[in-house]
Amino acid sequence: MDIKRYDVIVIGAGPAGLSAAIEASKAGMNVIVFDENAKPGGQLFKQIHKFFGSKEHKAKVRGFKIGEELLAEADKLGVTVVLNATVIGLYAEKEVTVRIDDAICHYKGDAIIVATGAAENMVTFRGWTKPGVIGAGAAQTMMNLHQIKPGNRILMLGSGNVGLVVSYQLMQAGCEVVALVDAAPKIGGYGVHAAKVARTGVPFYLSHTIVEAEGEEYVEGVTIAEVDSSFQFIPGTEKHFDVDTICLAVGLSPMSQLLKALGCDMVEDPKRGGYVPECDEYGETSIRGVFVAGDVSGIEEASSAMIEGRIAGVAAAYELGFMEKEELDEKIAIHEHALDTLRQGMFTPKNRGKVLEKTEEGCPVSTNLLKKGYLTDEEVFAYPGVTKQAGVHPVMECSQNIPCNPCQDACPKGCISIGENITSLPVVVETAECIGCGMCVASCSGQAIFLVDESYEEEFATVTLPYEFLPLPKAGDKGKGLSRSGEVICDAEVVDVKSVKAFDHTSLLTIKVPKDMAMKARFYKEG
Amino acid sequence: MKQTADVIVIGGGIVGCAAAYYLAKKKTDVIVLEASDSIGHGGSSRNGGGVRQSGRDPRELPYAMYGIEHLWPTLSEELGMDVEYCQGGNLRLALNDEHIEILKARTADATALGLDVTMVDAKEVKEICPHLSDKIVAASWCPTDGHANPMLTTLAYYRRAREMGVTFITGEPVVELRKIKGKIRQVVSKDGTIYEAENVIVAAGYEGREIARTVGIDIPMTRFFEECVVTEMQPKMFDIMLGVATAEVYGHQCAHGSFVFGSGTGMESANDRIGALQTSALGTPANCRAIMKYVPALGDAKIVRSWGGWMDITHDKVPVISTVDEVPGLILAIGFSGHGFGTGPVVGLMLSQMVLGEKTACDLSALRYNRFKSKV
Amino acid sequence: MNILSDRSKDLGPFVPQPDDDILICRCEEVTKGEIREAVHAGMFTIEEIRRYLRCGMGLCQGQTCGKLVKGIVARELGVANTDLEPATSRAPMRPTEMRVLGNDGGNE
Repeated sequence: MDIKRYDVIVIGAGPAGLSAAIEASKAGMNVIVFDENAKPGGQLFKQIHKFFGSKEHKAKVRGFKIGEELLAEADKLGVTVVLNATVIGLYAEKEVTVRIDDAICHYKGDAIIVATGAAENMVTFRGWTKPGVIGAGAAQTMMNLHQIKPGNRILMLGSGNVGLVVSYQLMQAGCEVVALVDAAPKIGGYGVHAAKVARTGVPFYLSHTIVEAEGEEYVEGVTIAEVDSSFQFIPGTEKHFDVDTICLAVGLSPMSQLLKALGCDMVEDPKRGGYVPECDEYGETSIRGVFVAGDVSGIEEASSAMIEGRIAGVAAAYELGFMEKEELDEKIAIHEHALDTLRQGMFTPKNRGKVLEKTEEGCPVSTNLLKKGYLTDEEVFAYPGVTKQAGVHPVMECSQNIPCNPCQDACPKGCISIGENITSLPVVVETAECIGCGMCVASCSGQAIFLVDESYEEEFATVTLPYEFLPLPKAGDKGKGLSRSGEVICDAEVVDVKSVKAFDHTSLLTIKVPKDMAMKARFYKEG
Repeated sequence: MKQTADVIVIGGGIVGCAAAYYLAKKKTDVIVLEASDSIGHGGSSRNGGGVRQSGRDPRELPYAMYGIEHLWPTLSEELGMDVEYCQGGNLRLALNDEHIEILKARTADATALGLDVTMVDAKEVKEICPHLSDKIVAASWCPTDGHANPMLTTLAYYRRAREMGVTFITGEPVVELRKIKGKIRQVVSKDGTIYEAENVIVAAGYEGREIARTVGIDIPMTRFFEECVVTEMQPKMFDIMLGVATAEVYGHQCAHGSFVFGSGTGMESANDRIGALQTSALGTPANCRAIMKYVPALGDAKIVRSWGGWMDITHDKVPVISTVDEVPGLILAIGFSGHGFGTGPVVGLMLSQMVLGEKTACDLSALRYNRFKSKV
Repeated sequence: MNILSDRSKDLGPFVPQPDDDILICRCEEVTKGEIREAVHAGMFTIEEIRRYLRCGMGLCQGQTCGKLVKGIVARELGVANTDLEPATSRAPMRPTEMRVLGNDGGNE
């Protein structure tokens, strides 16, 4: 029988798998990548938002662009990526069986890198099996890969980054998000992601969960209720919403079945999201030559998956003699450093479950942000990115230490400083002069930077805000200014709309609002 | 935790669980020790589910027939749980003359012992089961054979025995038997726990060989890995237990609708991955090809999983079900050689009879532990 | 020996709960109440639960309900989720037609 041989077989063409293949190929190895999907890139191609991180690691680049870059790099290096190729078995002697078209093909590798990613978790409530209850990831696939609107009126369960990001994307796709609900007492994802949802008017219900999905044949409504500290419903707190879709964003589980079937040592580790292989710092499992990278070895972000992939690729190259020790150490040091950087800040896995009261700078952590999704008009002044100045200047409503710093490089005038520590809050450099170019506004992946000019006119100020919805308003349009909580607080007139290539599809909307609304109005709505 | 009883059963498979149940029914105090974490982890959950008489060795046939006549028809009722017993008959298929000769010989043996089994031609095969291949030229047909759900049957005995007060301890591998004053008395587990009883039943499959050796008894056995595949749910197609003359495929459609088929690559005897339960890269495809040879209608059925299990095979391919002269109180029930599920209930019953000193339902003298002789 | 080895462990009586009728395994249509009852009937491992009820044995191969079932069984047994070994993983990792599986050139 024909068994095809490669130096390395990579299972999964997502961010981790492609990165692993690239590094292995650079080391001179013969690499093949299998993916069961029709398109490569894994989750990256669903990510239409800009990523956090540092400039070196693709910060402010949209996820799908990162995917395209990875594919181009892999292609240039001659990596074979086989799509619609489902790995159905992984066996001893590093053999994989792959379904390609209507046949099963046998492949053997000297190393195997498993980068199969994760699957969405579900929660149960009365009616959870009705059509219309879908995973948030599934909704994202429908919208961003297949251009299908998942529903019209949607309730999102889960306030982690997935729940927040997908809620925003649902609105971008033209859906109405009626509420964002989480059984936990505080929002799990980044504050800036929550804030950009809250300012459009989506209410947050923390310490709430779904009682029942209603409807005969499919979802027609949903009832939520408040839960106590032991997650029991509190009678009388029920709230009903008419919806046609319920999205569940309640976490991911590693798809580690191939590794378990192979006989790798496995461990149930809630911190890594479930049942995962035991592995060393290179991602090598208990079976020599079998590596893991990305979500399959523990749920994290795509950014860390890419670095883990590179580490696994390099480690496999070293193990098979395609790389000397010095080169390995050098490369691993760089990747480890990058990984460390990404794992810093308030959301580091080490801090999971902890209640943080102050930022690294000693600023108070906003409880309002954690419970309602936005900073209050008073709280916002507690952070170093928010200052009052004459003339146009940036207002950076960034209140949590997260590993992200593109804003400091975005400003051509040096108005913004983060410093050496990537998780520090951005500081306004008052000696530098803002020219109102808006590069910082467009660069912020969290859409947390605004340009405020309180001296625009005697009675009026302008607020320049990031805007990623269609149709794009035009200069001269008249509408309403919305507060951070999404409440209509004033009339607003669009005075400028800027969409340039450098902003990468983030338009900058400048609205004119009454002067006392300059530090309150953060979103614009027509009508 | 309880460590002393009238009887200790080593092995929580169908034989051990059934023995415990029939003993509990007679008010006997029993402890069952199972090496793995789950009841029925071994061959009891890893078989084709056949409850058949045709195709059996004449030494096994009497008690296989007894079980089908007296135990299986009422088993679900007795245990309070549906074990999915279906007496749909057994077709053993032939594709050529050579196969027909094999089947004819088996049929003649079984008929001599009173079993209703006949040879049927291609047309009759199609009448019994229209979904089979047109290439089938003949078959043996035993209408009283059938199948059941092996996992449920084992768990049903366990469940009922547990309700009746039998102590089950899982994750407790036995490493040693000890005689006291010439009789069996102690059972020592891997972590050093000592259990005591006057009667010990070893129903531990291949591992039973090592256990018996600790009191100086060795049964010539080997083991053999076989693989099965399971399809997704299919429309109801047939009730029969399916076998073939060469024994290369066996299986049935479950009450649930899925099909379970066992088969192999033919290289199983060279498998040295002792202990591993993973199926092989070659095994599942080979299994599918073998099935489609006989049931081409299943080509589009999706396989949802494959699994495998070790068979404990004695030198003469029938089990040892026997007391041991040198070790009074010890009873061996091992070496079922890949076809022990269907006889599990009756063997359990007879083991209880042996413990209690009653006459066994069938004569077991051909299955004594000391029957193995040298060739020259 | 694992902590659940003595199957005589007293779990107390089976007390019906209002959400016992909720489906947990949608492929094989197994409810929460059935899973809880199975634990009381002595099915203490995920392996036994699956064999007893078929939950997690359908087309999705337990991808959806695996974690849910584990949580229910652990709660009923009064042990931590991490104390229960998850279900065995079995090839093929995706349901595959017999004619495709058989087409691997393995007998050429």
